Amino acid sequence: MFPIAFMMIVTVVFISITTIIYTFTEDRIKLNERLRLKRAVLYAAGVRLPDDPAEIEEAFNNRVTEVKDDAERVRYYEIGSSDSSDDIESYVVIRTGAGLWGEITAGIGFDKDLEILQGLEIIEQNETPGLGGRISETWFKEQFSGKLPPLSAVPEGDETSAEQFQAITGATYSTGAIRDIVNSARKYAQREIQGAE
Amino acid sequence: MQGYKVKKIFSEDLGRNNPVFIQVLGICSTLAVTNLLKNTVVMCAGLVFVTALSNVTISILRNYMPSRIRMMVETLIIASYVIIVDIMLKAFLPDVSRQLGPYVGLIITNCIIMGRAEAFALSNPPGLSFLDGIASGIGYSYVLLAIAFIREIMGSGSIWGYPLLGDWWTNWSIMVMAPGAFFTLAIFIWIVKGVLDRKEIAAS
Repeated sequence: MFPIAFMMIVTVVFISITTIIYTFTEDRIKLNERLRLKRAVLYAAGVRLPDDPAEIEEAFNNRVTEVKDDAERVRYYEIGSSDSSDDIESYVVIRTGAGLWGEITAGIGFDKDLEILQGLEIIEQNETPGLGGRISETWFKEQFSGKLPPLSAVPEGDETSAEQFQAITGATYSTGAIRDIVNSARKYAQREIQGAE
Repeated sequence: MQGYKVKKIFSEDLGRNNPVFIQVLGICSTLAVTNLLKNTVVMCAGLVFVTALSNVTISILRNYMPSRIRMMVETLIIASYVIIVDIMLKAFLPDVSRQLGPYVGLIITNCIIMGRAEAFALSNPPGLSFLDGIASGIGYSYVLLAIAFIREIMGSGSIWGYPLLGDWWTNWSIMVMAPGAFFTLAIFIWIVKGVLDRKEIAAS
């Protein structure tokens, strides 16, 4: 009997400790995740802000509208212009696709006609660090601004046209995954926002 | 006596009985997180924390713990500390937490922690067990940091994310993948063992 009682006591004590710590940090963790999503949406829309939580919060609240479906899930984000008019400047959609090791989730921004890419931000990825993981590097993400999807990849370092982007050497699969996510994001945006078939 | 023991713990864990290059424990994370120096530092800090505290806790409980279930108790204690590290990283270092991804959780299965619990904490008082945890953690860390340094500079041409080598350097892709870690670790063990063996021959 003693081993059972001992194990039960130890279990109760340690689970209580972790639960207390979790309860104290829960709000902070949720806030971090929310903030990260807001920053990603703004970044994908081409809005460049300093990494300051208050500023990101303010810009998001002033300019971004979440458009939701009946189940309260966000379908896309509308980004208003920086002056006080009600014009919509761009749209951002969040899409997930299959990467090499796990899923890649990205925010993709389009202009109001859904023709020109405003930006790309990687929200979640588990690609090989140093290879596919480089999809999160600034040079890679920045090259998407102003491109006209559907896009195709050219080798790293080559000249690109408006329909092309530079691949990552040694990460063919991850590059392809990003290409597919961006291209399907445009189809998704056209369907959701313009109602096109 | 106590001072002698402390010194022995450190010289054993850092040198002749090093968990990574002598006992070859904890190789999973040695291979997995050493492609970038920054990730390695956080991983090492997490491991030092978990090894030291789980050693103390197990040492305190060692006289009450029924020996039949001690493995269960040890695993539970180790897992609790790893959960705490994971929560803390998520709350206070969210970017690092995301980069390390599943590897923080994998500290639970790091053989060094269980190894030190079984080999040291079960038969030594809490104070010494704490120091042993710290020493094993450091012994693990400096090997990982050395490997991470070599892998990051050769694989990415950078250190701590800052590009050090210019355009003339072509990154060795293999260094950022698992095989690169195998090669680096093997060469590291080869050199260190060679030095240690030579010393022993010279001593005798």
